[in-house]
Amino acid sequence: MNVPSEHMLVLAAILFAVGAAGFFLRRNVIVVLMCVELMLNAANLTFLAGSRMHTLKAGATHPSLQGPIFAIFVIVVAAVEAAVGLALVIAIYRNKQSVNLEDVAELKD
Amino acid sequence: MANALFYLMALGAVAASLGVVLAKNPIQCVLSLLASFFCLAAIYLLSGFQFLAAAQILVYGGAIMVLFLFVIMLLNLGNPGVADRIDAKMFSRENVLVGFVVAAALLFAGALAVRQSGEMAAPTAMPEHGIDAIPGLANEMFGRYLLPFEAVSMLLLATAIAVVVLAKRDKRMEKHHAANAARAEGVKP
Repeated sequence: MNVPSEHMLVLAAILFAVGAAGFFLRRNVIVVLMCVELMLNAANLTFLAGSRMHTLKAGATHPSLQGPIFAIFVIVVAAVEAAVGLALVIAIYRNKQSVNLEDVAELKD
Repeated sequence: MANALFYLMALGAVAASLGVVLAKNPIQCVLSLLASFFCLAAIYLLSGFQFLAAAQILVYGGAIMVLFLFVIMLLNLGNPGVADRIDAKMFSRENVLVGFVVAAALLFAGALAVRQSGEMAAPTAMPEHGIDAIPGLANEMFGRYLLPFEAVSMLLLATAIAVVVLAKRDKRMEKHHAANAARAEGVKP
Protein backbone atom coordinates (compact mmCIF):
# COMPACT_ATOMS: atom_id res chain seq x y z
CA MET A 1 0.00 0.00 0.00
CA ASN A 2 1.47 3.38 -0.91
CA VAL A 3 -1.18 5.71 0.42
CA PRO A 4 0.52 8.81 1.85
CA SER A 5 0.54 8.90 5.64
CA GLU A 6 -1.11 12.32 5.52
CA HIS A 7 -4.30 10.59 4.41
CA MET A 8 -4.18 8.51 7.58
CA LEU A 9 -3.86 11.75 9.54
CA VAL A 10 -6.90 13.18 7.76
CA LEU A 11 -8.88 10.03 8.55
CA ALA A 12 -7.80 10.30 12.20
CA ALA A 13 -8.93 13.93 12.30
CA ILE A 14 -12.34 13.03 10.86
CA LEU A 15 -12.80 10.18 13.35
CA PHE A 16 -11.77 12.43 16.23
CA ALA A 17 -14.20 15.12 15.11
CA VAL A 18 -17.05 12.61 14.87
CA GLY A 19 -16.20 11.24 18.31
CA ALA A 20 -16.00 14.73 19.84
CA ALA A 21 -19.34 15.69 18.27
CA GLY A 22 -20.95 12.62 19.77
CA PHE A 23 -19.34 13.34 23.12
CA PHE A 24 -20.93 16.77 23.26
CA LEU A 25 -24.29 15.95 21.68
CA ARG A 26 -25.36 12.65 23.23
CA ARG A 27 -26.97 12.37 26.67
CA ASN A 28 -26.66 8.63 27.30
CA VAL A 29 -23.56 8.01 29.46
CA ILE A 30 -22.75 4.74 27.73
CA VAL A 31 -22.84 6.31 24.28
CA VAL A 32 -20.66 9.16 25.59
CA LEU A 33 -18.10 6.58 26.77
CA MET A 34 -18.20 4.97 23.32
CA CYS A 35 -17.45 8.35 21.77
CA VAL A 36 -14.42 8.64 24.06
CA GLU A 37 -13.23 5.27 22.77
CA LEU A 38 -13.68 6.59 19.25
CA MET A 39 -11.49 9.60 20.02
CA LEU A 40 -8.82 7.40 21.62
CA ASN A 41 -8.82 5.30 18.46
CA ALA A 42 -8.30 8.40 16.36
CA ALA A 43 -5.34 9.33 18.58
CA ASN A 44 -3.92 5.83 18.04
CA LEU A 45 -4.26 6.23 14.29
CA THR A 46 -2.35 9.51 14.53
CA PHE A 47 0.49 7.82 16.44
CA LEU A 48 0.70 5.07 13.83
CA ALA A 49 0.57 7.52 10.92
CA GLY A 50 3.48 9.41 12.46
CA SER A 51 5.44 6.21 12.96
CA ARG A 52 4.81 5.15 9.36
CA MET A 53 5.80 8.60 8.11
CA HIS A 54 9.13 8.39 9.93
CA THR A 55 9.78 4.78 8.92
CA LEU A 56 9.25 5.50 5.23
CA LYS A 57 11.08 8.82 5.27
CA ALA A 58 14.03 9.00 2.88
CA GLY A 59 17.18 7.84 4.68
CA ALA A 60 15.46 6.08 7.57
CA THR A 61 17.48 3.02 8.57
CA HIS A 62 15.22 1.28 11.07
CA PRO A 63 11.49 1.39 11.86
CA SER A 64 10.25 4.12 14.15
CA LEU A 65 8.78 2.31 17.17
CA GLN A 66 7.63 5.11 19.45
CA GLY A 67 4.31 5.24 17.60
CA PRO A 68 3.32 1.58 18.11
CA ILE A 69 4.59 1.59 21.73
CA PHE A 70 2.49 4.61 22.62
CA ALA A 71 -0.46 3.13 20.72
CA ILE A 72 -0.22 0.03 22.93
CA PHE A 73 -0.23 2.22 26.03
CA VAL A 74 -3.25 4.11 24.70
CA ILE A 75 -5.06 0.80 24.15
CA VAL A 76 -4.37 -0.17 27.78
CA VAL A 77 -5.56 3.19 29.05
CA ALA A 78 -8.69 2.89 26.89
CA ALA A 79 -9.47 -0.48 28.44
CA VAL A 80 -8.93 0.94 31.93
CA GLU A 81 -11.12 3.93 31.13
CA ALA A 82 -13.91 1.71 29.84
CA ALA A 83 -13.80 -0.47 32.95
CA VAL A 84 -13.86 2.44 35.41
CA GLY A 85 -16.44 4.35 33.33
CA LEU A 86 -18.81 1.41 33.18
CA ALA A 87 -18.42 0.73 36.91
CA LEU A 88 -19.38 4.38 37.46
CA VAL A 89 -22.39 3.91 35.16
CA ILE A 90 -23.52 0.96 37.27
CA ALA A 91 -23.08 2.97 40.49
CA ILE A 92 -25.00 5.95 39.04
CA TYR A 93 -27.76 3.72 37.74
CA ARG A 94 -28.14 2.15 41.16
CA ASN A 95 -28.63 5.56 42.79
CA LYS A 96 -30.66 7.35 40.11
CA GLN A 97 -32.27 4.59 38.02
CA SER A 98 -31.08 6.52 34.97
CA VAL A 99 -28.09 6.81 32.65
CA ASN A 100 -29.08 10.20 31.27
CA LEU A 101 -26.47 12.89 31.83
CA GLU A 102 -29.20 15.48 32.47
CA ASP A 103 -30.14 13.57 35.64
CA VAL A 104 -26.64 13.65 37.12
CA ALA A 105 -25.88 17.37 36.77
CA GLU A 106 -25.60 18.19 40.48
CA LEU A 107 -22.11 19.60 40.03
CA LYS A 108 -23.30 21.85 37.19
CA ASP A 109 -25.49 24.13 39.28
CA MET B 1 -5.69 -2.84 -4.93
CA ALA B 2 -4.35 -2.26 -1.42
CA ASN B 3 -4.87 1.46 -1.90
CA ALA B 4 -8.49 0.96 -2.88
CA LEU B 5 -8.94 -1.27 0.17
CA PHE B 6 -7.48 1.46 2.39
CA TYR B 7 -9.94 4.07 1.14
CA LEU B 8 -12.80 1.58 1.37
CA MET B 9 -11.90 0.82 5.00
CA ALA B 10 -11.49 4.52 5.77
CA LEU B 11 -14.96 5.14 4.37
CA GLY B 12 -16.30 2.24 6.43
CA ALA B 13 -14.67 3.57 9.61
CA VAL B 14 -16.15 7.04 9.12
CA ALA B 15 -19.61 5.64 8.30
CA ALA B 16 -19.53 3.35 11.33
CA SER B 17 -18.43 6.20 13.61
CA LEU B 18 -21.30 8.31 12.34
CA GLY B 19 -23.49 5.34 13.17
CA VAL B 20 -22.23 5.43 16.77
CA VAL B 21 -23.15 9.10 17.09
CA LEU B 22 -26.49 8.95 15.28
CA ALA B 23 -28.00 5.58 16.23
CA LYS B 24 -30.83 5.76 18.77
CA ASN B 25 -30.50 2.32 20.30
CA PRO B 26 -27.33 1.79 22.43
CA ILE B 27 -26.99 -1.75 21.05
CA GLN B 28 -26.80 -0.32 17.53
CA CYS B 29 -24.16 2.11 18.79
CA VAL B 30 -22.06 -0.76 20.15
CA LEU B 31 -22.32 -2.72 16.90
CA SER B 32 -21.37 0.37 14.86
CA LEU B 33 -18.39 0.92 17.14
CA LEU B 34 -17.36 -2.70 16.60
CA ALA B 35 -17.52 -2.21 12.82
CA SER B 36 -15.44 0.95 13.17
CA PHE B 37 -12.79 -0.93 15.21
CA PHE B 38 -12.59 -3.69 12.63
CA CYS B 39 -12.17 -1.17 9.79
CA LEU B 40 -9.38 0.50 11.78
CA ALA B 41 -7.72 -2.88 12.39
CA ALA B 42 -7.75 -3.46 8.62
CA ILE B 43 -6.16 -0.04 8.12
CA TYR B 44 -3.44 -0.87 10.68
CA LEU B 45 -2.77 -4.14 8.86
CA LEU B 46 -2.59 -2.40 5.48
CA SER B 47 -0.18 0.25 6.74
CA GLY B 48 2.27 -2.26 8.19
CA PHE B 49 1.25 -2.69 11.84
CA GLN B 50 0.39 -6.37 12.18
CA PHE B 51 0.73 -6.58 15.96
CA LEU B 52 -1.34 -3.47 16.55
CA ALA B 53 -4.07 -4.83 14.27
CA ALA B 54 -4.20 -8.04 16.31
CA ALA B 55 -4.19 -6.11 19.58
CA GLN B 56 -6.96 -3.85 18.28
CA ILE B 57 -9.21 -6.81 17.50
CA LEU B 58 -8.39 -8.67 20.73
CA VAL B 59 -8.65 -5.76 23.17
CA TYR B 60 -11.24 -3.50 21.54
CA GLY B 61 -13.29 -6.02 19.60
CA GLY B 62 -12.99 -8.71 22.25
CA ALA B 63 -12.78 -7.16 25.68
CA ILE B 64 -14.08 -3.58 25.59
CA MET B 65 -17.06 -4.33 23.36
CA VAL B 66 -18.13 -7.23 25.56
CA LEU B 67 -17.90 -4.92 28.58
CA PHE B 68 -20.17 -2.34 26.90
CA LEU B 69 -22.68 -4.95 25.75
CA PHE B 70 -22.63 -6.55 29.21
CA VAL B 71 -23.45 -3.29 30.97
CA ILE B 72 -26.17 -2.35 28.46
CA MET B 73 -27.84 -5.71 28.89
CA LEU B 74 -27.31 -5.78 32.68
CA LEU B 75 -29.06 -2.43 33.09
CA ASN B 76 -31.59 -3.30 30.37
CA LEU B 77 -30.94 -0.17 28.32
CA GLY B 78 -31.63 -1.75 24.95
CA ASN B 79 -34.78 0.29 24.39
CA PRO B 80 -34.08 3.94 23.52
CA GLY B 81 -36.33 5.28 26.24
CA VAL B 82 -33.73 7.74 27.49
CA ALA B 83 -34.35 11.25 26.19
CA ASP B 84 -31.27 11.37 24.01
CA ARG B 85 -32.28 13.23 20.92
CA ILE B 86 -29.94 15.56 19.05
CA ASP B 87 -32.13 18.66 18.71
CA ALA B 88 -31.79 22.17 17.32
CA LYS B 89 -31.39 23.62 20.82
CA MET B 90 -27.86 22.23 20.96
CA PHE B 91 -26.81 24.29 17.92
CA SER B 92 -27.13 27.70 19.52
CA ARG B 93 -24.84 30.46 18.25
CA GLU B 94 -22.33 30.19 21.14
CA ASN B 95 -22.03 26.41 20.79
CA VAL B 96 -21.46 26.61 17.03
CA LEU B 97 -18.88 29.37 17.55
CA VAL B 98 -16.96 27.31 20.13
CA GLY B 99 -17.08 24.34 17.77
CA PHE B 100 -15.67 26.34 14.90
CA VAL B 101 -12.87 27.79 17.06
CA VAL B 102 -11.87 24.34 18.31
CA ALA B 103 -12.00 22.90 14.77
CA ALA B 104 -9.87 25.75 13.43
CA ALA B 105 -7.28 25.25 16.21
CA LEU B 106 -7.11 21.51 15.54
CA LEU B 107 -6.81 22.05 11.78
CA PHE B 108 -4.04 24.60 12.31
CA ALA B 109 -2.11 22.22 14.60
CA GLY B 110 -2.56 19.40 12.10
CA ALA B 111 -1.37 21.47 9.17
CA LEU B 112 1.66 22.58 11.19
CA ALA B 113 2.50 18.97 12.09
CA VAL B 114 2.23 17.80 8.49
CA ARG B 115 4.39 20.68 7.25
CA GLN B 116 7.14 19.91 9.77
CA SER B 117 7.07 16.16 9.20
CA GLY B 118 9.57 16.31 6.35
CA GLU B 119 9.46 15.39 2.71
CA MET B 120 8.47 11.96 1.54
CA ALA B 121 10.14 12.44 -1.85
CA ALA B 122 12.11 9.18 -2.04
CA PRO B 123 10.55 6.92 0.55
CA THR B 124 12.43 3.96 1.98
CA ALA B 125 10.88 0.56 1.44
CA MET B 126 8.53 -0.88 4.04
CA PRO B 127 10.43 -3.24 6.42
CA GLU B 128 9.84 -6.87 5.50
CA HIS B 129 7.97 -7.86 8.67
CA GLY B 130 6.03 -4.66 9.05
CA ILE B 131 6.88 -1.67 11.21
CA ASP B 132 5.93 -3.22 14.55
CA ALA B 133 7.66 -6.60 14.14
CA ILE B 134 7.65 -8.36 17.51
CA PRO B 135 11.44 -8.55 18.18
CA GLY B 136 12.01 -4.83 17.73
CA LEU B 137 8.85 -3.92 19.60
CA ALA B 138 9.71 -6.22 22.53
CA ASN B 139 13.24 -4.81 22.72
CA GLU B 140 11.85 -1.30 23.01
CA MET B 141 9.02 -2.21 25.37
CA PHE B 142 11.20 -4.13 27.84
CA GLY B 143 14.20 -1.88 27.39
CA ARG B 144 13.64 1.80 26.99
CA TYR B 145 9.96 1.71 28.00
CA LEU B 146 10.26 -0.69 30.96
CA LEU B 147 9.30 1.96 33.51
CA PRO B 148 6.08 3.01 31.71
CA PHE B 149 5.32 -0.69 31.27
CA GLU B 150 5.56 -1.23 35.03
CA ALA B 151 3.52 1.92 35.64
CA VAL B 152 0.80 0.52 33.39
CA SER B 153 0.77 -2.71 35.37
CA MET B 154 0.23 -0.68 38.55
CA LEU B 155 -2.55 1.21 36.75
CA LEU B 156 -4.25 -2.07 35.88
CA LEU B 157 -4.05 -3.26 39.48
CA ALA B 158 -5.45 0.03 40.77
CA THR B 159 -8.26 -0.16 38.21
CA ALA B 160 -9.20 -3.69 39.21
CA ILE B 161 -9.53 -2.59 42.84
CA ALA B 162 -11.34 0.65 41.92
CA VAL B 163 -13.88 -1.17 39.77
CA VAL B 164 -14.67 -3.66 42.52
CA VAL B 165 -15.13 -0.84 45.03
CA LEU B 166 -17.27 1.26 42.66
CA ALA B 167 -19.56 -1.48 41.47
CA LYS B 168 -20.03 -3.12 44.86
CA ARG B 169 -23.40 -2.59 46.45
CA ASP B 170 -23.04 -0.32 49.50
CA LYS B 171 -25.56 -1.50 52.11
CA ARG B 172 -25.03 1.47 54.45
CA MET B 173 -25.60 4.03 51.68
CA GLU B 174 -28.73 2.22 50.57
CA LYS B 175 -30.14 2.37 54.09
CA HIS B 176 -29.28 6.07 54.20
CA HIS B 177 -31.07 6.70 50.87
CA ALA B 178 -34.08 4.73 52.01
CA ALA B 179 -34.27 6.76 55.22
CA ASN B 180 -33.99 10.02 53.26
CA ALA B 181 -36.73 8.95 50.88
CA ALA B 182 -38.98 7.99 53.78
CA ARG B 183 -38.38 11.35 55.46
CA ALA B 184 -39.16 13.21 52.21
CA GLU B 185 -42.37 11.23 51.87
CA GLY B 186 -43.32 12.15 55.39
CA VAL B 187 -42.64 15.87 54.91
CA LYS B 188 -44.37 16.28 51.56
CA PRO B 189 -48.05 16.09 52.61
